[in-house]
Amino acid sequence: MTEFFKTILPPVIANSPILDILVIIIKVFIVVNFAMINGMYLSYVERKVIGHMQVRLGPMRTGPHGILQPIADGIKLFFKEDIIPANADKPIFFIAPVISLTAALATLAVIPFWEDFIIADINIGILYILALSSLGAYGIILAGWASNSKYSFLGGLRSSAQVLSYEIAMGLSLVGVMLLAGSANLLDIVKAQENMPFGMYLFVQPIGFFVFFMAALAETNRAPFDLPEAESELVAGYFVEYSGMRFALFYAAEYIGMVLMSFLAAICFLGGWKGPDFWFFSKVPPVIWLLIKVYAFIFFYLWIRATLPRYRYDQLMGLGWKLFIPLTLANILITGLVKLLIET
Amino acid sequence: MTPKELINKVLFIDIIKGLALTLSRLFSHAVTRQYPKVKRPPFPGFRGLHALAKDEEGRMKCVGCCLCAAYCPSQCIYIHTRESENNKKIVERYEIEVLRCLYCALCVEACPYAAVVLTDHYEYSDYSRDALYFNKERLLENWDKYMAGPKGKEYFEKFWQPKSKDFGKVK
Repeated sequence: MTEFFKTILPPVIANSPILDILVIIIKVFIVVNFAMINGMYLSYVERKVIGHMQVRLGPMRTGPHGILQPIADGIKLFFKEDIIPANADKPIFFIAPVISLTAALATLAVIPFWEDFIIADINIGILYILALSSLGAYGIILAGWASNSKYSFLGGLRSSAQVLSYEIAMGLSLVGVMLLAGSANLLDIVKAQENMPFGMYLFVQPIGFFVFFMAALAETNRAPFDLPEAESELVAGYFVEYSGMRFALFYAAEYIGMVLMSFLAAICFLGGWKGPDFWFFSKVPPVIWLLIKVYAFIFFYLWIRATLPRYRYDQLMGLGWKLFIPLTLANILITGLVKLLIET
Repeated sequence: MTPKELINKVLFIDIIKGLALTLSRLFSHAVTRQYPKVKRPPFPGFRGLHALAKDEEGRMKCVGCCLCAAYCPSQCIYIHTRESENNKKIVERYEIEVLRCLYCALCVEACPYAAVVLTDHYEYSDYSRDALYFNKERLLENWDKYMAGPKGKEYFEKFWQPKSKDFGKVK
């Protein structure tokens, strides 16, 4: 992209740092819009897929097969009355959804869409993503606290405990990948997967992948670990008291979080933008391969939501601490030993 | 825990079965009906909106015996009759408060002339109570709208026939 701008812009600008800033702004624009549209249409796809899995139709009225439903929802939420509870802690109440969404969107900065398209190519990509995804939990906890309502408070408490315990399992499951790749940079991780069977870490890190996937479900508060929201128990959990645009921000954050976790899984375990390398497949642009993998993951998210009931809270904690963390620790040990044996 | 149970638990056999079921449902046909666009015709004998039947000459069948009003469990039928100059009974008012009706069709059973009937029309929701308070003229109109012609005859034979067929024929 930089080369393209160098050819069309006058040399005064082309050789100055303004060009780099311009390119970054364009990239950010593309990525944020991509994420927002994905988040919007994910809600539609979710309703459709779950509807059909439950032998219903899902939204059908707005546009052909309800294709304009997310736009209608967006307009509705935008013009809805913004209700603030009288006893709410107002500054925190205002800032909580913003924290949620910002944390979700900021994470996209280190996601490589293909080799040359990454906003910030930093060496601690995975750490950055883990840090920001736990920062997003602040939004949830603060929302639960600031709403001054028992349901949202319970939702916020559940969320904080859940995110804390699953964050560990998730981080540890990615340690195996980092060990194998020898780097926490997402570009390097994708490149390191080239000489693995099928060009993926999935087959050398099955336990890591399994734990990562489960922890990602819990991190993004999705079924069967959707205890912070738990429609049937807590009405809507931490965002009961939110309405209108702030509610939409929470929703967008949740869906973007899903997209993000799918990106991370596709990059760390499924070989990122690399596809099979024979006849027709080698001509498909790399970003298409990445998106296919990501959307397959998202479909899996929805599929699981349509299938499994919610876990009980003690089961959730037991699963996290007694199963996933020991599993990942064993995985790290075995991965390290095997790598040591092969290299020496 | 037997070895089989252990294997089931480790490999998530039950969860995979559940996932397979939901996936197979994804490709099956939805049972939803797109209601206002696609309407299911009501089954024959469906008990919907009330009407007052007319005979072949277009006269109201009702003679004002008030049996329907006496039978009605929710007491939502109001009938006023008076005597005309040549000593005939005239049904002056015949009113049904449809909102209170529970569609048990006891009035239809009670009527010796099959004069009050329940048509198979069911889409008559409205914004006010008054709109659902049907007087004689509107009930007769309902007959013309939903039951006129052969349909009414068929329904008469199948569903509304008075229990004693010759009751009304004695002159």
